[in-house]
Amino acid sequence: MSSVPTMADRLPPSAAGSPLAVILFAGMAEIVGARRLEMPWDGGTVADLRRELAAARPALGPLLARSAVCVAGRYAADHVTIAGGVEVALIPPVSGG
Amino acid sequence: MPAPLPTASSSAAPVPAPGPSPDAGACRFVHGPIDGAAILAAVAAPAAGGNVLFLGTTRGVTADVTTRSLDYEAHETVAVAMLDGLRAEAAARFGLCGCAIVHRLGRVVVGEASIAIAASAPHRREAFAATEWLLERVKAAVPIWKCEEDGEGRRTWVHPGDLRGIEERR
Repeated sequence: MSSVPTMADRLPPSAAGSPLAVILFAGMAEIVGARRLEMPWDGGTVADLRRELAAARPALGPLLARSAVCVAGRYAADHVTIAGGVEVALIPPVSGG
Repeated sequence: MPAPLPTASSSAAPVPAPGPSPDAGACRFVHGPIDGAAILAAVAAPAAGGNVLFLGTTRGVTADVTTRSLDYEAHETVAVAMLDGLRAEAAARFGLCGCAIVHRLGRVVVGEASIAIAASAPHRREAFAATEWLLERVKAAVPIWKCEEDGEGRRTWVHPGDLRGIEERR
């Protein structure tokens, strides 16, 4: 996907916590224009991350609502807590095969 | 190296050592053309009586829409782990002798293969069933995506359905 820049896209810093890196793929990377987002993160769950992402990047909202969230290599339910430093990836509906 | 396949079903005779290892193919991504014959050879086993190779290829026309190519990307580490898990599950469920899943990434033009699934079993029915069972699960949940390029050069990422809640459905 050569049309998407690879440089990290940093969101405005907030007072809270250390940033959380969120990896993007396919149509989500295209929407954001980057393969990686850094979110200010003060701890929370997958549901919290969904809310904050939708607020920070409204254009992601419709696809995010149909996407899974992968935390430390596993699809994670909304109640799962995201620890600092783990890999988080957004997984939009898949189309392999 | 991937974990050994679970033992085949009780209908399988003891397997002598010679011949390609059923793990030779395993699950992986490639960035160039898929060699179907090599993948089929990798699942060969003395106990196998049915050997099936499925190739999914880029279709040039769907309804009246022309496709020039498909461009694939994946979350590779997560996808390979999931493919390995599906392969082990299929091996146990269908009593396979060998099984391999290879997916291509990058641009795949019309007629070329984007995925190969090979399965060998003591009898044909299990080998056919396993390849279809695996394909359906790859298409449902493994983090791989395609971007379609149509005849006019327009590119569109394909995100069908709803993956939210997948962790509860698997």
